[in-house]
Amino acid sequence: MVFAHGFGCDQNMWRFVEPAFAGDFKTVLFDHVGAGGSDLTAYDKSKYATLAGYAEDVVEIGRELGLTDAVFVGHSVSSMIGALAVQKAPGMFGKLVMVGPSARYIDDDNYVGGFSEQQIEELLQFLDSNHMGWSAQMAPAIMGNPDRPELGEELTNSFCRTDPEIAKAFARVTFKSDNRADLAKIDTPTLILQCSEDIIASKEVGEFVHRGIPGSELIILEATGHCPNLSAPDEVISAMRTFV
Amino acid sequence: MDSPRIDDFEDMFDNAPCGYVTLLPNGRIARVNRTLIGWTGHTADQMIGKPFSGFLNMAGRIYYETHIAPLLRMQGFFDGFAIDMVTAAGEHLQMIASATDGRDAGGKTLFTRVALIKAVDRRLYERGLLEARDTAAMGLARERENSELREQFIAVLGHDLRNPLASISAGARILGRDATTEKQHQILAMLETTVMRMAGLIDNVLDFARGRLGGGIVLERSAGKPLEPMLHQVIDELRLSSPGRQIETVYAIDAPVNCDRSRIGQLVSNLVGNALSHGATNEPVRVHAVTEDGLFKLSVANGGEPIPEAAMEKLFEPFFRAEVRASRQGLGLGLHIASQIAKAHEGSLNVTSTAEETRFTFVMPLR
Repeated sequence: MVFAHGFGCDQNMWRFVEPAFAGDFKTVLFDHVGAGGSDLTAYDKSKYATLAGYAEDVVEIGRELGLTDAVFVGHSVSSMIGALAVQKAPGMFGKLVMVGPSARYIDDDNYVGGFSEQQIEELLQFLDSNHMGWSAQMAPAIMGNPDRPELGEELTNSFCRTDPEIAKAFARVTFKSDNRADLAKIDTPTLILQCSEDIIASKEVGEFVHRGIPGSELIILEATGHCPNLSAPDEVISAMRTFV
Repeated sequence: MDSPRIDDFEDMFDNAPCGYVTLLPNGRIARVNRTLIGWTGHTADQMIGKPFSGFLNMAGRIYYETHIAPLLRMQGFFDGFAIDMVTAAGEHLQMIASATDGRDAGGKTLFTRVALIKAVDRRLYERGLLEARDTAAMGLARERENSELREQFIAVLGHDLRNPLASISAGARILGRDATTEKQHQILAMLETTVMRMAGLIDNVLDFARGRLGGGIVLERSAGKPLEPMLHQVIDELRLSSPGRQIETVYAIDAPVNCDRSRIGQLVSNLVGNALSHGATNEPVRVHAVTEDGLFKLSVANGGEPIPEAAMEKLFEPFFRAEVRASRQGLGLGLHIASQIAKAHEGSLNVTSTAEETRFTFVMPLR
C-alpha cells in the first residue's frame, strides 16, 4: 500500500492512517521531490512542470519495489498523480484510493472547480509570505545533510518544510492541472473519500470525479476540511478497510 | 462607563492589542474578541459558528487547509505565519498570527487558540523586499547574459581579425622582395609596423575577453629556453615601428626564468609601447632585465610628464586611457593585460612616477 501526500506538507500527512494498515500490508511512504526529506538536487523544473512527472516517480518507486496489484492511496493532488500512475504502469496498482481529489481546481465553462485563475495567482504570491521552516541560512544545513534527516526533524514546522521555489512550482502544477479527460481512462477499482465541507475539493467536485471514473465508489465523510487523514483518521481508516 | 481594571481578565481578552479567536476542532469559530471584531468590521454574530477560513482571502483559505490545519494537528502549534483576513468592507487585512491547540490528556484536540496581530505595514514592507529581490535577481541574470554575449562577441571578433591581418602581412612581405624605391620601402615598413601594432591590440583584446569569460591567462612555461632572444625580438620590432626613438637595453639574465616567454614578450611590448606613447620623445626608453636574489626583475622607464596622482589608481584597470595623441590611442588594455600576465606568473607589476622618470617594474620568482 503506497501512500502519497499532496501539496503542503510531507509524508507525515499519513502518520495517523498508515499504522492502521502496516500490519496487513507492506506500507510505502515517500516524499515528493521538493518536500520533506527528499533530495532537492533531484528537482528538475521541466520534469515536474506537469503531474505526469510526479506520476513517473510513483511508477519508478513501484518498479524498484517490484509492486504488483498494490493499493495506491493519494491525498489531494496525489489522487490525480495516482490516476496517471495506474495508467502508466498497468498491473502495478490493483486499487486506487483518492482522498479529497479534484480533477480541476479552476472554474471552466459549465464546470465549477471552486477557484478562479486570479485566486490561484494570489496564492502563488502569498506563498512567498510564508517560507515556513525555511530560510537562506538554514537551506545549506538541510541540503548539505541528506543522509542525516534528523537534522531537519528538529526544526520547527519541519512537517511542512519545502523549498519555497519548489513549493511555488508544485502549487502552480497542482492548482492549474486539468485531469478531467484522464478520469474515464481509469480502469482500476477506485474509492473516493470526500469531506462534507472542503473549500479545496468540494462535495460537487468529488461527485464529478466519481461520475468520471467508471465503477468508482464515493463516500462523503462527516469530516470537514481538506485533511481528513489528520482530522478524522478513524473515519478514513474504516472507509478504506471496507474497500481494500 | 467603568474604567478598565488591571486584573479584569475578561477585559484583557476582549480589548487586548491583538485579535483572539478560539476555534472548535472542525475549524468553526467558538469565540472572538472585541479587538478582532473592531478590526474586521464583522459582528460577533456573523463570526461565531462560522468556519474561520471563511474570513480569509482565497489564498489564505488554501494555505489554512494545506499548511496551518495540518501543522496544528501534527505539531500542536504554529508560530508567526502570515495570513490575510477580509473585512466586512471587503478589504484585505494583512496579519501575522500564531496558533496553539488545546488538547485533552489523550492528545485529542479540544480547541485551537489563534492570536492575530495587525501587520499591514510590515507585510507591505516584506512584499516590497521580495519584489526588490526578484527584480534584482532578474536584472542580474539579464546583465550576466548580456555581458557574456558581449565578451563572446569580442573573442570571436578578435579571432577573425587575425586572419586578414596575416594576409596583409604576407602580402607586404612578398611586395618587399620587389621594392626598388626608397618610398616603396618606407610604405612597406609602415605597413609592417601597423600590422604589428594591430596584432598586439588583437592579442590584448582576446586575452581580456578570455580573462573575463573565466579562462584567465594560461601560461606555457619553459624554464629551459633562454628569454633574452625573445626580448631582443620584441625590442627590435618596436624600434622598427618607432623610428627616431631611442630604446636602451641592459640585460643581465644569468639564471633560467621559468616563464611563458611569449607572454613576457607581450608584457614587455605593452610596457615599452606604453612608454613610447606617453614618454618624452626626446628622451630614451630604458629597459632593464636582470636575475638576482631568486627573482626576475624587468623595468621599463621613460622621461616626461609624471602620471597624475588621480590616474595612478586606475592605471591597471581595463579600458583606462590617459590623454594622449590621437594617433597613438589604443584600447587601454595594454597595462591591464601586462598586470594580468604578471599575476599569472605569481609576480607583480608596480609603477613609480616622478618628474625625473616614470618606471614600471615587473618582478617574478625564478623558481
